Amino acid sequence: MRRGAFHRGLTLFWWVVMAFLYLPLAVIVFYSFNAANSSAYFAGFSLRWYDKLIHNDQLLSALSNTLVLGIASSTLALGIGTLIGYGMYRHRARKLGWLIVLIYLPIVMPDIVFGISEMAFFISIDRQFGILGPSLLTMIIAHVTFQIPFVALIVYSRFVGLDPTLFEAAKDLYASPFQRARFFLLPTLKPSLIAAFFLSFTLSVDDFVISFFNAGPENATLPIYIWGAIRRGVSPEINAIATLMIGAVLIAALLSLMFNRHKQH
Amino acid sequence: MKRTTITTRVALTLGGMLLASSAFAQDANKLYLFNWTEYMDPKIIQAFEKKYGVEVIQSYYNSLPEMTAKLNAGGVSQYDIIVPSNYYVPRLIDSGLVQKLDKSQIPNLSNVMQQFADPSYDPGAQYSVPYQWGTSGIVYDTNVFPDAPKSWSLLFDPKVNTDQPFALMGDGQVNMGAACAYLGSGYDCTGAEAWKPAAKLILDTKHRGTFSGFTDGTPVLQQIQRGVVRAGISYNGDYLQQKRENPEAFKHIAFMIPDEGTEMWVDNMMIPAKAPHPALAHKFINFILDAKVGAELSNFVQYASPNKAAQPYLDADLTQPPALPDEADLARLKFSPSLSGQELQLFQQLWQEVQSR
Amino acid sequence: MSKPESPYPLAAHSRSLSPDTRHLLWSVAPGVIWIVVFLVLPSLYLIGVAFMTNGPYGQPQMPLTLDAFSQLAGFGFLGWSPGNLYTLLRSLWQTLLATGLVILVAYPLAYRISISREKWRALMLLAVVVPSWTNQVIRAFGWMNLLSPGTPLAELAQFFGLIGPNMGLYPSNFAVTLGLIYNFLPFMVLPLYAAFEKLDYALVEAARDLYASPLRAFWLAVFPQTLPGLLAGTVLVSIPAFGMYVVPELLGGGRAMMLGNLVASQFAGGSNWPLGAAGALIMLLATFGGLFAMRRIGKRLSGGEEVVI
Repeated sequence: MRRGAFHRGLTLFWWVVMAFLYLPLAVIVFYSFNAANSSAYFAGFSLRWYDKLIHNDQLLSALSNTLVLGIASSTLALGIGTLIGYGMYRHRARKLGWLIVLIYLPIVMPDIVFGISEMAFFISIDRQFGILGPSLLTMIIAHVTFQIPFVALIVYSRFVGLDPTLFEAAKDLYASPFQRARFFLLPTLKPSLIAAFFLSFTLSVDDFVISFFNAGPENATLPIYIWGAIRRGVSPEINAIATLMIGAVLIAALLSLMFNRHKQH
Repeated sequence: MKRTTITTRVALTLGGMLLASSAFAQDANKLYLFNWTEYMDPKIIQAFEKKYGVEVIQSYYNSLPEMTAKLNAGGVSQYDIIVPSNYYVPRLIDSGLVQKLDKSQIPNLSNVMQQFADPSYDPGAQYSVPYQWGTSGIVYDTNVFPDAPKSWSLLFDPKVNTDQPFALMGDGQVNMGAACAYLGSGYDCTGAEAWKPAAKLILDTKHRGTFSGFTDGTPVLQQIQRGVVRAGISYNGDYLQQKRENPEAFKHIAFMIPDEGTEMWVDNMMIPAKAPHPALAHKFINFILDAKVGAELSNFVQYASPNKAAQPYLDADLTQPPALPDEADLARLKFSPSLSGQELQLFQQLWQEVQSR
Repeated sequence: MSKPESPYPLAAHSRSLSPDTRHLLWSVAPGVIWIVVFLVLPSLYLIGVAFMTNGPYGQPQMPLTLDAFSQLAGFGFLGWSPGNLYTLLRSLWQTLLATGLVILVAYPLAYRISISREKWRALMLLAVVVPSWTNQVIRAFGWMNLLSPGTPLAELAQFFGLIGPNMGLYPSNFAVTLGLIYNFLPFMVLPLYAAFEKLDYALVEAARDLYASPLRAFWLAVFPQTLPGLLAGTVLVSIPAFGMYVVPELLGGGRAMMLGNLVASQFAGGSNWPLGAAGALIMLLATFGGLFAMRRIGKRLSGGEEVVI
């Protein structure tokens, strides 16, 4: 009997936490359709803030910056990280403590220190040599730096899950290392590579602090734009753009769910 | 085969983009304008773009510390025009962040009013050209404060405002000046003697339950419309501009110049030391100084114009308070002091202390 | 940079590397060089800035000095003042508070997920994680919407006298704590769930038979088994919470400055790079100190076995 009550209590607690997690997002979505210029009251349904968004050039360029930054950095990180993951696996018998520390460094470093040290460093390079001033390039470099470890770890754990004899078989089957990579490594890795790419992309879109400190005048991303809009105090438009971003996240969640279901069957 | 082409395409795009992004500063057809928020008429930008066949890229800041930080963080070689206030002009010159103007490229300079032509913060006006001028004062909700005193006490005295949320400003120097004025040492106070009690007052004010935050002059107008705060520090022109856009919400919001005195500021167009397009920047300054463009600008942003030639074209409301304060209030206005050296560092330590505690 | 510790010390020093070593270097070189050039070097540079003199307008200059650190400790032109100490203590307190509260919420939550039917578990985990996929600026903004004056939550708090009339729940220290919990809850739920999933119920049954009281059974049989997950979660929550910038900045309204804001304001307010760099160094030390301590505790708890985080 007591067990039943305990269980019901836990279930109730679960729903309370769900409300806590989704209420702030729901409120954004709700107010994005608010006709009033306020989040203190609701004055009827309206699409006026979305209409404003479509005609906001800055916002559209922020969107394209976000996409370019995310795709470019994830692509680069995928290449570099996969190599590391592969190297770590092939040589896992060796003492690679130094490599592990180096790979965990970008993960554990507080992002404010991360962003500021790169900013200060790039600026001093810019002053000396006239390159690497704040721009999309410095942002891509910074993003790749924090994406590499995640790619490497995903690829590494995929390899660890493989039957080691597969590698021997591949060695017998294909003569050249290139062929082995082309016909054995890449196909086996494909799901992990896709997962790593999407994780990198998510991390890139998620980042605000590191982008903020390394962006040039033309490189505002969506998070930077939203930050600026909050600081300027223009509220209803932010609700609309944030709603679109939340929508994108929910779609991604649905896709990942379907992907997993598909894999299970 | 298919995969190879995709890989190649990605590689090409990536490479091209990297090149393009590192070389973007060489693009001669762009002007990078780094300005306060809500401080430019989009029509003026369009007219300039059309006249010179260029594109204007605008970036924005809410406070002068923010602007200076961006300049130091590489912006000095990325922006063509910045618009700092008077008290930041000397330190920008001293630290080599701005360049001298070539006055031969700015024939419209003769349009500048006499009292702005040789300012104390930039003798001979070698580096700066006035953009707009205005005052910082208190904005407040007249429903909540029907009998508000014409005084800083609305913010600093807990007996005057017992239970309404209010904000101070993001820029430490304006807060310090306001606190000094309230304490009787004048808005343009300097030195430890005056600053220490002022910092103490701000600290006490910050710890009042009704203090809602340090909010800059433009965003506080949004907050007051939405009732997040009922009083704060803002600028006369931003107030008028927002009021014109949203007359209903501003029916019960007023702007006031406290009797203890407050700030008069002059915002100036300046060219960063390593601006990518200095020639175009000069053209832009000259364009803004044109009589009709200058008037259009002021009519849009609702600030008083330092442009003599523009005066005939100004809207009627720009020649009366609060855009142009009356004689008595004008006498109460002071420049914020330009700080440097030890004094600046002392000020920053005090302000840091206020923010931390 | 330290050289790789080769199991063949002589081979590493000889001029021609073994093919195996060469293979390793080729595969990891791009990433290692990237991280060293674009993260290790910048951090070292920033640490260097901490030891430089603050120039007249906040830029680092020679000569080298410890001024930034004494300033961080509170020594200024007017003698000692506790401002920065407040900031440091506030960061520690907020981190402790948020981590503790996150544990309190995550523990039953992770357990609830682990006892659900298998087909629901993935969905439930996803439901916990999805909000953290949205940008942290958006998440903070959501709370700004919920907590500002005039909203139902604020009016409820006013009704109970928790805040004054006409006020909102943000900006405040409370809002910052809430924001931190909101941000980091999934980081605690995931490792705890992993621990609960592996829970050996035979032990729990045995404990129930022996001690009868459910509380004692929990304490002696369940809790120790979840400790590694708890520890991993604590690291994942407390380290980023200590360096948080966005949440105090947006939800704190200038009354809840944390170390991250102190550091950022020295750069984003353009006032004092060396002081900001000194603060960053403290953050780095706290991060690595915290990691090291957790590793030690983890090792002791698991009887010398390595706890993988």
